[in-house]
Amino acid sequence: MKKTLHPIKITVNGIESTHAVEPRLLLSDFLRQDMELTGTHVGCEHGVCGACTVLLDGEAVRSCLTFAVQIDGHQITTVEGLGSNPDELHPLQQAFWDAHGLQCGFCTAGILMTIIPFLEANPHPSEEKIREALSGNLCRCTGYQNIVDAVKLAAERGVGQPNPDD
Amino acid sequence: MTAIGKSVPRVDAHGKVTGETLYPGDINLPNQAYLKILFAGRPHAIIKRIDTENAAASRGVLAVLTAKDVAINGYGLIYPDQPVLCGPGSSRRFADRVRFIGDQVAVVIAESEELATRATKLIKVDYEDLPLLTDPIEAMKNDSLLIHPDREDNILRHNKIRKGDVEAGFSQADVIIEAEYKTPVQEHAYLQPEAGLGYIDEEGRITVQVAGQWTHEDQEAIALALNLPIHRVRIIYPAIGGAFGGREDMSVQIILALAAIKLHERGIDRPVKIIWSREESIVGHHKRHAFIFRSKWGATNDGKITAAEVEVIQDGGAYACTSTKVLGNATLMCVGPYEIANVSVDAYSVYTNNLPGGAFRGFGGPQAAFAAECQINKLAHALGIDPVEMRMRNLLRDGSLTAVGTPLPEVVTIDRVVAASAEMAGWEKGPEGWSSPPAESLGSPAEKYLKRGIGIACGFKNIGFSFGHPEKCTTSIELLGGSEIERVIVYQAGADVGQGAHTVIAQMTADAVGVPLEMVEMVLSDTAKTEDSGSASASRLTYMTGNSIRGAAAEALMHWRAEDRPAKATFTYTPSATTDFDSSTGYSTPNFAYGYVSEVATVEVDMETGHVRLLKVICADDVGKAINMQQIVGQIEGGIVQAAGYALMENFIQENGQVATQHLSTYLIPTVLDIPEEVESVVLEFAEPNGPWGVRGMAEMPYIPLAPVVVAALHDATGIWFDEFPLIPERVLLKLQEEKGT
Repeated sequence: MKKTLHPIKITVNGIESTHAVEPRLLLSDFLRQDMELTGTHVGCEHGVCGACTVLLDGEAVRSCLTFAVQIDGHQITTVEGLGSNPDELHPLQQAFWDAHGLQCGFCTAGILMTIIPFLEANPHPSEEKIREALSGNLCRCTGYQNIVDAVKLAAERGVGQPNPDD
Repeated sequence: MTAIGKSVPRVDAHGKVTGETLYPGDINLPNQAYLKILFAGRPHAIIKRIDTENAAASRGVLAVLTAKDVAINGYGLIYPDQPVLCGPGSSRRFADRVRFIGDQVAVVIAESEELATRATKLIKVDYEDLPLLTDPIEAMKNDSLLIHPDREDNILRHNKIRKGDVEAGFSQADVIIEAEYKTPVQEHAYLQPEAGLGYIDEEGRITVQVAGQWTHEDQEAIALALNLPIHRVRIIYPAIGGAFGGREDMSVQIILALAAIKLHERGIDRPVKIIWSREESIVGHHKRHAFIFRSKWGATNDGKITAAEVEVIQDGGAYACTSTKVLGNATLMCVGPYEIANVSVDAYSVYTNNLPGGAFRGFGGPQAAFAAECQINKLAHALGIDPVEMRMRNLLRDGSLTAVGTPLPEVVTIDRVVAASAEMAGWEKGPEGWSSPPAESLGSPAEKYLKRGIGIACGFKNIGFSFGHPEKCTTSIELLGGSEIERVIVYQAGADVGQGAHTVIAQMTADAVGVPLEMVEMVLSDTAKTEDSGSASASRLTYMTGNSIRGAAAEALMHWRAEDRPAKATFTYTPSATTDFDSSTGYSTPNFAYGYVSEVATVEVDMETGHVRLLKVICADDVGKAINMQQIVGQIEGGIVQAAGYALMENFIQENGQVATQHLSTYLIPTVLDIPEEVESVVLEFAEPNGPWGVRGMAEMPYIPLAPVVVAALHDATGIWFDEFPLIPERVLLKLQEEKGT
């Protein structure tokens, strides 16, 4: 049985590339296997746990519920694309480290990618808003309190606020 | 300069926030093939025939393996009663049958996961179904069908305690409370499903990279099943995505090694890889045991418990796993941390066709604490004695004899731990004893259909292996440099399952050698490079690794002073010996160290919907010494939320041996919106005399009293005792309506 391949042209973490993908290939599998970006994790395969969250044109989406063909012509950002360079962490990443916002770390990438657009839209969030924003991501280790604290810390440090240089 | 007692940021966090950290499923090796397991899908049957011909001929298939390919087709941490692959032609009798739906029947190795999956569907298996036994009480009966026909009955273990004279104790009692408690199955639901790779390494070793809890136990299990010398097997742990006891038994370990070696024998030297789906993970690994406790306790009017009689029935599921050890804890802990002169306990572990039960944070402690703490709270209520005061009159102290006839090792601090939690919650100690905070202090609910209540429960739990199980931990330390130490390398196998073990290993090494933390390099979790550290379980790793690090550092420093360059030492720490239950009285020295915990919870219940919200949990935990406070608090908060899931939400449904909750959309675990509004951690540091730096061990403690403390608070709010959980709205509402109707 021969499968039809679909050409897609995409920008992943700022780098443009073209691929030929099977129509039912999930974005999560495409990123992990074809792009070798294994920082995006798969925890439940059906959109419950949020571990596979990535940015599609800046919006958080679940890559396990998205087909690779759907991203043709779009921009994807994964956790690997967060820092400006390999030596420097994004301040959100630094806040998660400082506030002990992770234990096993398997859910962390999805949480970071959920919070990036959230803080952009809500640079000074209340705790209630933070909890609401995190409610689609499961963590089994931390009890969430330090994750909430990490988001607060990131907000205090100005993550999400417009860059004065822009 | 000491690194002890500081909230040192985790050493592994950089890779975890950047995505560079590799979990087993993230590792890809050149030319790797893929495995897919055919699970039985039916709970009890004899396999008459397996036809793999079509599967083997299917496109991209390299091999199909069945029971015939397994050298010694039985494994298990306690008894080798579980076939690696079930089917005819096994090297073990009765390995031709499946006993639960997650039994593994065949393995396909193919060019891709998709092709392997397709081929598993072409395997034809002829089953002859057997009657089902899913009720442990039925399975205990003498004339019951045998799940393991080589045994005399389905009772895997019977523990007995006989202390004093319970009949005499009940005759002294002014109040007797009897109840039957049922505790549910719980799924670990670590976010990273089982995964791994198997290959032959450059030195010809069968190598498995997997997320487990005990490298050297995985190594031994593989060597035994495949009949290999132990040094021919190598285990490496990459990053581990949570464990909580759920990775203590084998999941994909033996299968990966089997596939690698069978391909090798056929002249194919290719790595093999497997990733379980969430569904496979939920069906494929053991669960927290369901228990039944039939408890009868008596006390005098002045609040002294005079007798406790308990029958404990544990649903062990299809295979032994660690059931007998979990039962041991439940046997000891079902009468609570109380000094009771007259005790009789009969505890049974029973085989059924349900998913096997095994290790899960607390290891029998949470189940037993549920029964014990509900009993003492009911006695206190019946006697009109404050629940803190009631505990103070009965708690074990230095020198008190436990139910098994021996004292707990000194220093016993549970009274101070209970007091700390109670004081934090507003209890006061007056001349008449302890009294609870006034009801107004709970604040008023926003609506009149909401009611609030407060309660207390406590617990104790062993640190390290119990009941005579061998216990040791080995560390090597190497010091390099010239006139000054320039590098310190610590070799440690201890698994960092997310709890932060590697960070505290670095901290303890730095302090023991007397160098800055930055100087410590770690070689971790690889049986080819590190000695046996024992399991990341039983809240033991900080205690055990710390003691072995101190020993290794002291010896290495001695060699250093003798001008050895590099100076290297290996030290094995062995704690004082423990003993198993005496078969007729239970007399034993069960453990070498304990941790102590006490919790106060405030709940709000919606009387119209039955929804219970946790408003506040205060957790006092004697950790002995906090090596890393940030991580201690992380364990407390994480443990409480996991236990809140157990108490209030997580409803694992098994019917006729099938699992109805095979996904995270049907098996609901807490989200951030389900957690207590406030968790207050009270970290106490009463040094454990034999603990390194005074450490006790603590990762399980915060979990233990949570379910009974919720029940206590719910009783305070509604006047109703709940003897079963999870306290999902449906169960709570039904009970509220029943009580209203009567």
